[in-house]
Amino acid sequence: MKQWMTLLNKELLEMTRNFKWIWVPIVFILIAVMEPITAYYMPQIIDSLGDLPDGAVIELPVPSAEEVLVASLSQYNTLGLLVIILSSMGIIAGERKSGVAGLILVKPVSYTAFVTAKWAGAMLLLWISYFIGYFVSWYYVGILFDTIPFIDFIQSFFIYGLWLSFVLTITVFFNSFLKSPGAVGFLSFAAVIVLIVISGTFSKWFEWSPAQLLSYASTFIMSGPISSDVWAAIILSVSGIIMLLGGSIAIFRRKELA
Amino acid sequence: MELSQVNWEVIIPIVAPIILIQLILLAIAIIDLVRIEKVNGPKWVWILVILFVNIVGPILYFVIGRRND
Repeated sequence: MKQWMTLLNKELLEMTRNFKWIWVPIVFILIAVMEPITAYYMPQIIDSLGDLPDGAVIELPVPSAEEVLVASLSQYNTLGLLVIILSSMGIIAGERKSGVAGLILVKPVSYTAFVTAKWAGAMLLLWISYFIGYFVSWYYVGILFDTIPFIDFIQSFFIYGLWLSFVLTITVFFNSFLKSPGAVGFLSFAAVIVLIVISGTFSKWFEWSPAQLLSYASTFIMSGPISSDVWAAIILSVSGIIMLLGGSIAIFRRKELA
Repeated sequence: MELSQVNWEVIIPIVAPIILIQLILLAIAIIDLVRIEKVNGPKWVWILVILFVNIVGPILYFVIGRRND
């Protein structure tokens, strides 16, 4: 445990040194906050940009507060995923390339501790940035539109956060056997897109898919009827995360520094 | 709508914090770029990228520009 804490501390220190603690939260805030602001100013934006003929009237339905918050979450499902993958694609692969992993693993450090400490560090960064970003978005929606109950916000926060964690764990998994950060990023992104597309098109058969967590988080915000498939998706995501993590430890142990 | 018709007093308190954190991101990238020894590719290109590519520029710098070794 002491060894694990040391590894985690090293991870956190490294993330401070390469500014991840600054740019990841800022980017998460920017991604989420753009949505309520553009939705709020859309009539003015159209007015000032378009050369509309006199008398042309565009009636834009004013989106409800819930819709705007859901739109923030959908932004995370594209740009947010990209940021997660970009920020974590080198966590093991980069160290292996530069030889730092070799320096550490020469000492009696367990592979499990090495991989899980890296994963925990990345998770900490993800959840803190995601919370700050989503909270700011919720706050802006409250100012510009209407207050959404905090309980809805927190529920959707945790449910959707599970999907983000799943994506992060996929990246860690690819990190365990690939040497180049670029390849890790590419493969993780491909895997995530395939997951989203398949479970989106065949949503009837994939109601338990982790990629569906976005739509479940939305039903919590919209206070719609909550289907029992939420639990299936949650349980599957958690077990998927554990399995992927176990798999990456096993592969990493076998591959070692090859 | 003319620019003068825009009600700036309402807009500024809402948009200013966003612009501020965007500037922080940009400033940190620039400061780090000046202080760092070596980057991937020429430094002046990165200055242009950070300054002129909105939001994405600093991210690209932190992800690709900084050498990890």
